[in-house]
Amino acid sequence: MATDPDALDDAFFAELRRHYSDDEIVELGAFIGFNIGYHTFFGTLKFYPMFSPDGRLVSQEESARLYGAAPASLQAADD
Amino acid sequence: MARIAPVPLEAIDDPELAALLARGRTLGVPDALFPGLLARVPGYAKPLMRALIESHGSGNVDHKLKEIIRIQLARFAGDAYFASLRSEQARAAGLTEAEIEAGCGDYEDAPCFTEAEKCALRYADQMYLDASKLDPAFYEEMKRHYTEAQIMELGAFIAFHYGMQLFMRSLAAKPLAS
Repeated sequence: MATDPDALDDAFFAELRRHYSDDEIVELGAFIGFNIGYHTFFGTLKFYPMFSPDGRLVSQEESARLYGAAPASLQAADD
Repeated sequence: MARIAPVPLEAIDDPELAALLARGRTLGVPDALFPGLLARVPGYAKPLMRALIESHGSGNVDHKLKEIIRIQLARFAGDAYFASLRSEQARAAGLTEAEIEAGCGDYEDAPCFTEAEKCALRYADQMYLDASKLDPAFYEEMKRHYTEAQIMELGAFIAFHYGMQLFMRSLAAKPLAS
C-alpha cells in the first residue's frame, strides 16, 4: 500500500479473499492506511520513548541521550 | 464500484454512525461510500468517521487551506475517490477550483497563497515524498507562521487523510456520484 500501490490489483484482492472475509480486508486496509499516515508524521517529530529501558519516566532530552540518534527499534527495522 | 461493497445505507442502524454519515454528506466529504465500507468494521466506523470529519471541518487552521491540502494529498496518493470529492464548507467560504489547482501544482510561485499557506502546502507535499526535508529547520519555519497546536492539527490532518486515501485507492473506490 505504501511502496507499490499498483500491486494491489484485482488478482491480489482475489488472493486476499482466499484468506480473509471482506469485513476483515476492510479492517486490515483501514488499519494499514492509518499506520502509514501516522508513523511517517510521528517520524518527522523526532519523538523519543517516554520510558527508559528500565522503566523510568524520563524527559525527551534524557531519552535522546539514552536511545541515541537512531533508536534500536528503527535499527532493527532497517536490518 | 469499489472492490468491496459497502454496507447498504438502510442497514446502518447505529444512530451515531448515521448522524456522522449525514454530516459527511452535508459537508461533501466523504460521501456515503466511505462510512458504508467502514460499517463492515463496527469498532472502526465511528472513530474513523469522526476523525475524518472533525480533522477536516473543525479546528484552528483555515478550512479552505485544509481542503486544498486534502486534494493535493489525494492526487499524490492516486486516490480518485477523495480527489474527486469537494467540501461544500470550503466552496461556501469562497474556495475556487483555480485555487485548488494552484495548490496542487507549483504553489511556491502562486500569487494567491501567503508564505504561511505555502509553508503548510510544503508540509503536506513533503510528508510522503521526502519526509527527511521536514527537519528541525522546517519545523522552525512552520513555527514562524503557526502555533504548535496548529502544527499538530495540520500534521495529524495530513497523516490521517493520506492514510485513508491510500486505503480507498487500494479498493479502487470512486465517488458514488460519478
